Amino acid sequence: MATVKERGYRHWDGRLVERRFPWLPIARTGVRLAFRKKGFKFAFAAAFSPATVFLGLLYISERIEDFKALVRTNQNLLNVSPNYFKTFLTSGPFLFLLVLVLVFASAGLIAEDLKHSSLQLYFARPLKKRDYLIGKLAVIAFFVLIITALPWVLLVVFKLIFAGNFKFIAAYPWLPLSILGYAVLLTVFLGFYLLLMSASGRSTRYVTVLIFFVYYFSAVLALWIKGIFKTPYAFLVSIPANLQQAGAVLFGQKPPQPFSPVWSFLVLAGICVLSGIVLTLKVRSVEVIK
Amino acid sequence: MTAVIAATHLSKWYGHVLGLNDVSLEIEEGITGLLGPNGAGKSTFMKLATGQLKPNIGTVTVHGRRTWNTPGIFRTIGFCPEPDAFYDDMTGFEFLTGLLRFYGFSAKERRERAARALDVVDLTGDKDRLIRGYSRGMRQRVKFAQTIAHDPEVLILDEPLSGLDPLGKRKLIKVIRDFRSQGRTVLVSSHVLPEIEALTSRIVLIHQGQILAQGDISMVRELIEAHPHQISVRSSDPRGLAARFVADPAVLKMTFDPDGRTFVVETRDRDELFGHLAEAALAAGIEIEEITSPDDNLQSVFEYLVGK
Repeated sequence: MATVKERGYRHWDGRLVERRFPWLPIARTGVRLAFRKKGFKFAFAAAFSPATVFLGLLYISERIEDFKALVRTNQNLLNVSPNYFKTFLTSGPFLFLLVLVLVFASAGLIAEDLKHSSLQLYFARPLKKRDYLIGKLAVIAFFVLIITALPWVLLVVFKLIFAGNFKFIAAYPWLPLSILGYAVLLTVFLGFYLLLMSASGRSTRYVTVLIFFVYYFSAVLALWIKGIFKTPYAFLVSIPANLQQAGAVLFGQKPPQPFSPVWSFLVLAGICVLSGIVLTLKVRSVEVIK
Repeated sequence: MTAVIAATHLSKWYGHVLGLNDVSLEIEEGITGLLGPNGAGKSTFMKLATGQLKPNIGTVTVHGRRTWNTPGIFRTIGFCPEPDAFYDDMTGFEFLTGLLRFYGFSAKERRERAARALDVVDLTGDKDRLIRGYSRGMRQRVKFAQTIAHDPEVLILDEPLSGLDPLGKRKLIKVIRDFRSQGRTVLVSSHVLPEIEALTSRIVLIHQGQILAQGDISMVRELIEAHPHQISVRSSDPRGLAARFVADPAVLKMTFDPDGRTFVVETRDRDELFGHLAEAALAAGIEIEEITSPDDNLQSVFEYLVGK
């Protein structure tokens, strides 16, 4: 048998073709693994409960005569308007359910890779760090958009179907865009926030606790600061309050706090920038010497 | 012959810790063993060669292309990292097909390639089990399977045999040797020297981030002439034979084993000593039963060079 040297080496002389969406395999894997997590499907289904309740209320609002006995005491409950959408989409329970789903889906996104040193495998493939992070963000975007944008835009359509006319959309033509804008805001902010948390540890359980702790502790801290300094600006340290403040602007409603929502946008953007910097530093192949 | 992997004045440091220090190295086709103790810089070199670390100074190329920030080059490289790198909730088959997605293969081709790679490492029967349930050896084998699944030209293997049982090691060694016979390039690291010995005689010794020696094991021996070689001689009359050439300038030291039949000579010139030994035995009519070189292995070479 001829030796290698006698045969000569077969030098690779092909063209390096880059994939169009190199981040896609990362995103697909993340979404698929989320559905395998225990309890995820239940949380995912529960996240649609606000939309389901809203759908019921939409139906009742258009069939008010049939439900007179039920709604005699609270007519405002059925006054469907952009404020109504805003109230549901920025409510504490909705955001809790959304964060719950995202915790299942995202806590381990980077933490698991760090734990198992999978980054080495990823970066030994035709994949850049940027593609890796986009893939991970895409997992979060998938769930945020499927829970916010998709059902709530559909609800506008249902409103029109139940009403049998286009009066509602004629009165508020910007509402679908508001819903999409809010969904994008949630996607971007929660994407960066959750990935930052996920990159903060190697244990999914630890990251899960950290996500909830930071999210809700910020709200408690805001109340505490407000109690001491008696200023509404204290709510700038609260993640949910900033989301509600920014959400109100996107729906053309009065912000819940008496300060400019620009500050809330700046706080949210600042957290995103900080997260981006930390992620860039954290996401790299495990160093040999530490 | 063109180098497949080439490093030029390569340096990498981590804060105040030096990982690699001015390494210039050319690795040609076939199997090359990268040897060194833990922390020597083997993994650092491999990560630089696979573009996962950016060199502080110097360059490293594969097929003439820089590896840093050139993701496309990894279509031709297969990398087997040392630590486990898995999603435990996936089956071995899913793990492989998932990684093959990065290369843009069709679903059918991904399945075929994954099945073929798993077959090479004898995991076909366990391909649908969750990786969580795999033994250490199986995990090691599935890690190797992901290295070869996309049919790379260059394999970079960081301690690929660790955790395998003797049978598994033998099989994997055969697989790696097969890659050589297919005209591919394999760079394999290990600190278990007999493993490298079983794979190749072409070695690169690395210590404290620097290349100590490079070449065939016999070439490496020539580099370390300053160190004595040991030759063990078993004979019917060891003392009589030893007396014949104890005054030879090639002899540095001589010891006798308790069994009374063997003596060990330390020399700086092995070839000269062999000649004198044969002459002495012939002249005295003493039968030599066995001549061995107890330090004629990579372990000894390595220990000499690092001064242990």
